[in-house]
Amino acid sequence: MKEFSITNKSSFKELQIIESLRTVLDPELQINVIDMGLIYHIDAEPDSDAVKIQMTLSSLHCPMGEAILKSVQNRIETDFPGSQVDVQLVWDPQWTYENITEEGLKQLGR
Amino acid sequence: MNPLPKNTPGMYRLIVAHYLISGICFAMLAVLLLTLCGNFPSHYFAPGTLAITHLAALGWGTLIIFGACYQLLPVLLECDLYSTKLPWIVLALFLPGLFCLVYSFWIFDPGLHMQAGGVLLTSSIILFCVIVFKTAAKSKVASAHKDFILTSCVWLAATATLGTLMVFNFQYAFLPKVHLHFLRLHAHMGIAGWFLMLIIGVSAKLIPMFLVSRNQPSNLLSWSFYLINISLLLFMADGYINGLNLKTHLMVLMMLCGLAFYFVYVHKCFRSRLKKKLDIPILKTVLSIVFLSLSVLLLPVIIQFAVKQSAWSVKLSSLYGMLIFMGWITALIMGQTFKTLPFIIWVKKYEHLSGKARIPMPADLYHAKLLKLQYFAYIAFCLSFFAGFLLSNNLLMIAGAVSIVIAAFAYLGNVIIILTHKTTVKL
Repeated sequence: MKEFSITNKSSFKELQIIESLRTVLDPELQINVIDMGLIYHIDAEPDSDAVKIQMTLSSLHCPMGEAILKSVQNRIETDFPGSQVDVQLVWDPQWTYENITEEGLKQLGR
Repeated sequence: MNPLPKNTPGMYRLIVAHYLISGICFAMLAVLLLTLCGNFPSHYFAPGTLAITHLAALGWGTLIIFGACYQLLPVLLECDLYSTKLPWIVLALFLPGLFCLVYSFWIFDPGLHMQAGGVLLTSSIILFCVIVFKTAAKSKVASAHKDFILTSCVWLAATATLGTLMVFNFQYAFLPKVHLHFLRLHAHMGIAGWFLMLIIGVSAKLIPMFLVSRNQPSNLLSWSFYLINISLLLFMADGYINGLNLKTHLMVLMMLCGLAFYFVYVHKCFRSRLKKKLDIPILKTVLSIVFLSLSVLLLPVIIQFAVKQSAWSVKLSSLYGMLIFMGWITALIMGQTFKTLPFIIWVKKYEHLSGKARIPMPADLYHAKLLKLQYFAYIAFCLSFFAGFLLSNNLLMIAGAVSIVIAAFAYLGNVIIILTHKTTVKL
């Protein structure tokens, strides 16, 4: 995911989006999609309504996949009214357990 | 191309119907066990025991596995199910077949009803196998899970075919050896071939998924696969020709080695898990593995008593069957139901609201206290019923049977609570 940069205006909006996505949980593990490491890339210009999110899922043919993608879309549309959200599902690079953040591991009980 | 599976309304109804009907079968099974308790048959080849065993194996175990397979096959094989209509035909053939068979065993009438039951069930099972094989043919995945699942279907079809032949043999007596001889082969094709293969295949994928395990050594599963299947094939051939004898110990040893590889796999998944807190459904799964271990450890003892023609071989064989059906399979299903069913319902009821409002999670859809009651009543059943059976103590057995009735109705109640869950969140 992109690094936060104080000189980059879009960074502030992307940071807000990250915080918003921290409320979207994986229904089984109950960890948010950011700490699960499912979000690969966020593209949001401050002057534009377009929000592009590239994300993955923990497994191909995940039965909850559709629900998680829809949650991400719904969350952004709710928190940023009027935005045009484009959630792209990508499989490369493939998600591994190494993607889970330290905070995610803590939530799992480690 | 959309690679994500989504249940159509028809598939949703189908899967839910399997969970509900098998829950009803479990409640019926518990009540039948209670009615049998005052005068529990000393031999496993008795009308009541045959009825209960077939209700447990088919109505409770197999039916819920069929339903779960329709949901899980696309996940395990990473492709869509071959057909969404054929499973309805499978169910339509299975249910009348099951009730004809169980009823005719209960009253022991080896006539038309029993034969029709056998034919209907076998047709249904063969059709189920067609669905699984056709789905697997579309899948590009090569994995140990797939091998286990496909092989389990072959064993299931063989079990049902031999069972139906035995049903006809009651009336026409055409089989070359006595009934008990074939019963042993029929039972083990079903237990080790169908249930064990299928459960290893599915759990090898689901356990690390639920526990978030880093280490999933699939080479252990391959060893397990070959050792269990070879031992089972040898048991079938030698068991048919010679019956139980000292050589059977070698086959059991091979089977135990195969199981040991699976247990090591599960152990490694647990050791490397990222999710540290274990919930009740996972604890039930652990309990089921304990019962499986206990039952297979009984096998060498049973063989030894059978070779010596001791009456204990019959008693321990009955205990072995109970540990398999009421221990291993029941504990596993009771646990895994609350890992799978809430998700199916949650997707249906909350997917569209997810991310828009604060909504319950799948684990919030069942009644937690009822789940605890079911868990403790089931443990009470295991302790008192199995002890009562071994000590020939009727009072303990009745206490155990009452406990399983409580556990079964708590289970069924919780399944109904999940199925009738109403979306309360509004935007």
